[in-house]
Amino acid sequence: MNAGLVPTGREPVGRVDGDGGLGNIALVAKREYAERVRSRAFVFSTLLLAGLAVVIALIPLAVRFVDQVTVTRIGVVAPDDKLGERAIAVMDGFLNAQLESGAPATKRFVFEARPDVGTASTEVREGGLAGAVLIDRKADGGLDFQVLSVGALSQDRAQLLQIGAFAVGILDWTATQPPTDRPFVPPAFAVVDAGAVDSGTGAVGGATIDTAEYASRRIVGIVFVVLSFLTLVFYGLWVAAGVVAEKATRVMELLISAATAEQLVVGKILGIGLAGLTQVSLVLAPALLSLLLSGEIGDALLGEDPAAGTSLAGLSPGLVAAFLVYFVLGFSLYAALYAGAGSLLSRAEDLQIVALPLSIPAIAGYLPAVLALSGGSSSFIRIASYVPIWSPFVMLSRLSIGRVEAWELALSIGLLLVTVPLVTWLAIRVYRAGVLLYGQPPTLGTFVRAIRG
Amino acid sequence: MRRSPVEGDWRERATRTIIDGGGRTFPEWPIRAGPLCSPADEHAHRHARARMTLVVDHLYKRFGTVAALDDLAFEVPPGQVFGFLGANGAGKTTTMRIALGVLDADAGRVTWRGTESHRLPRATWGYLPEERGLYPRMRVIEQLVFFGGLHGVPADRARREAMSWLRRFRAEDLAIRKAEQLSKGNQQKVQFIAAVLHDPPVLLLDEPFTGLDPVNVMLLREAFLELRDRGRTVVFSTHQMEVAEALCESVAIVDRGRMVVGGRLRDVKRSTGRRMVRISVADDHRLTWLAAVPGTRIIQAGMDRSSVELDPGVEPEAVLAAAVAAGARVLHFEVADPSLEQVFIDHVGHPVEEVGHLAPAEAEEAEGGTAAEGGTATEGGAAGDGAAAVDAA
Repeated sequence: MNAGLVPTGREPVGRVDGDGGLGNIALVAKREYAERVRSRAFVFSTLLLAGLAVVIALIPLAVRFVDQVTVTRIGVVAPDDKLGERAIAVMDGFLNAQLESGAPATKRFVFEARPDVGTASTEVREGGLAGAVLIDRKADGGLDFQVLSVGALSQDRAQLLQIGAFAVGILDWTATQPPTDRPFVPPAFAVVDAGAVDSGTGAVGGATIDTAEYASRRIVGIVFVVLSFLTLVFYGLWVAAGVVAEKATRVMELLISAATAEQLVVGKILGIGLAGLTQVSLVLAPALLSLLLSGEIGDALLGEDPAAGTSLAGLSPGLVAAFLVYFVLGFSLYAALYAGAGSLLSRAEDLQIVALPLSIPAIAGYLPAVLALSGGSSSFIRIASYVPIWSPFVMLSRLSIGRVEAWELALSIGLLLVTVPLVTWLAIRVYRAGVLLYGQPPTLGTFVRAIRG
Repeated sequence: MRRSPVEGDWRERATRTIIDGGGRTFPEWPIRAGPLCSPADEHAHRHARARMTLVVDHLYKRFGTVAALDDLAFEVPPGQVFGFLGANGAGKTTTMRIALGVLDADAGRVTWRGTESHRLPRATWGYLPEERGLYPRMRVIEQLVFFGGLHGVPADRARREAMSWLRRFRAEDLAIRKAEQLSKGNQQKVQFIAAVLHDPPVLLLDEPFTGLDPVNVMLLREAFLELRDRGRTVVFSTHQMEVAEALCESVAIVDRGRMVVGGRLRDVKRSTGRRMVRISVADDHRLTWLAAVPGTRIIQAGMDRSSVELDPGVEPEAVLAAAVAAGARVLHFEVADPSLEQVFIDHVGHPVEEVGHLAPAEAEEAEGGTAAEGGTATEGGAAGDGAAAVDAA
């Protein structure tokens, strides 16, 4: 017997301290992370998604390009016909003249007079007009401009209109007969939601909208909500698939005798979560970069356009932080559910049995999140933004639109913080019984029995 | 040998485990106190033994309607190679899983050196599951380092020891291969290394020899003996009686979750009262005269030497006398113990292979009763008695 070749006797049983605890979690997480990140599927899907994200980020550029040849109809409502005619002539000449260098023959803006605010706002609401310029003469003779629109008049359009309003203001000031000593004050300019106009009285009320920021917040919100939905469901499925693969290859028998169910579940969630976060970062970084640079790229390709601005106004550091917090908590929640469900399956083919039921609650949360993005704030959406399984989407979309009370945010995160350990604990119970269970695809009863132990 | 789970004196119960069908008792482990010991000695020995051995202490486990373990009790002396014998479904795997803490027993416990299994660190055990499995896409050396790490072995040390085990199994070139590229036998060797890498005091190996070619069987046997020489306790389950016979100092035969007979190999082999004769007769290998002796059977006819099994009560001398009476020239005559295979048949009532190897899927379904007590277990019940023998092991 060549004893020299055999590993020599360390005193048996190295460790009694909590059986590997955190060390084993780290080991499992490291293995999971390496396995995902090194896999060909990961590399390909990352490249594909990153390319897609860059394309999406550059869409505003394409819109700007298309914009050059579309016509925007704007109604003009003035206190007297003379001012109205003059304003239409000035803005028509000024705004459409801008394009002389760019050369499209068609006009970019068509201005039409409207008799009163009620008519104009109705047309705007019904879509006949893209917007309406309301001109008001103040007591001191200066002009006041408001632009009515529904939701979003595109940001560069609004800026062009402001330039037009500025020109009308100057001409009106110089044309005053007799000349006054009133100094020129740039006209006030605001974009107002057409829905806020009382069609009876014609009174214009409601909050003013910063169109640029509003549009940007919506875009950022959509990106985040879609992203969290896809990542939670997608990476959650990775967890379930990983557990099933370990069972199907029977490596589970070795694993479960070497580490505890707690270590295996937590390590797997951690490792796959980090791999998911890596992929999200790799996908988002080039897209954000393209967004930041899209102004410069656009100017280089399409010529200078003073009205075009950056699209990132809605992306605040706070929102990014919120996305990360909700990703971490939401992923932990979903991954625990997927791990528990996956442990009851025996074959990879059975994954679809849990994939659909588990994505239903996610879809049910995705819908109110999208609703919230269009400015809705019904009590259903508010409540949905506290429910742990939905808050990762719904609260995120409410946050990107704005107007979330601090206590609401605290409640929603607090509920997640309580739910995640609870669900993880349940998932570990299911997992412990489930991983040795082979045979029939599970029913609801199986889950219940597994939890009861 | 159908015993009810009577609670009685510990010693009485322990002794009962080695009562054979005929009601004779046999001495248990050498370390055990004999009946002549004083109660104080008995107590001391009992204590000493509890500290030293792996004790399977009256385990019960049901999967739905199937009783996988029914008062299973035996002890494994430390530093021995121990054979855990039974057909598929006898409860071998279930017992090992309970020892590992992966399954909970309904009643009873497993202790090692006096400590209950669920209080022991997992690194106490080195486990080779019956269902072989590795991560298919991972390199062999990485898997071994990973599993060693789970048992607390630092990566560099795990790598060194894994390589030295691979060298020992003449499989160094496997280190950088992915598991999916390995033959079944090689995967099995890698899994064995995963079980022993952290040098555990007790090895629980579930059917370690199944599917290995003769060269690898030999390498594995050598490894067993060497681990034993270094004081490790090696418990392995098998349904291959020849392997157990060649390797084990002690064995336990189980059937349908019940202990049938156990103890030192020699004692177990003599537990049926059956003897065997090896005989060599010049110019006569047919031994036709043997027909005159009732209760004899040639189990291995050879040109040179034949083995003749005798039913209990048939004296070996009767064979010799018959040979002489028939005028045969006896060159060699030897009285031996019966084969373990024969002992198993005598005790259990059928050959170990006969219960058969159910398709893995079927076995799994019966096992499915683990958690799904209602649903899946009904199938186990429908399969009736056959399912009772289905594994859980």
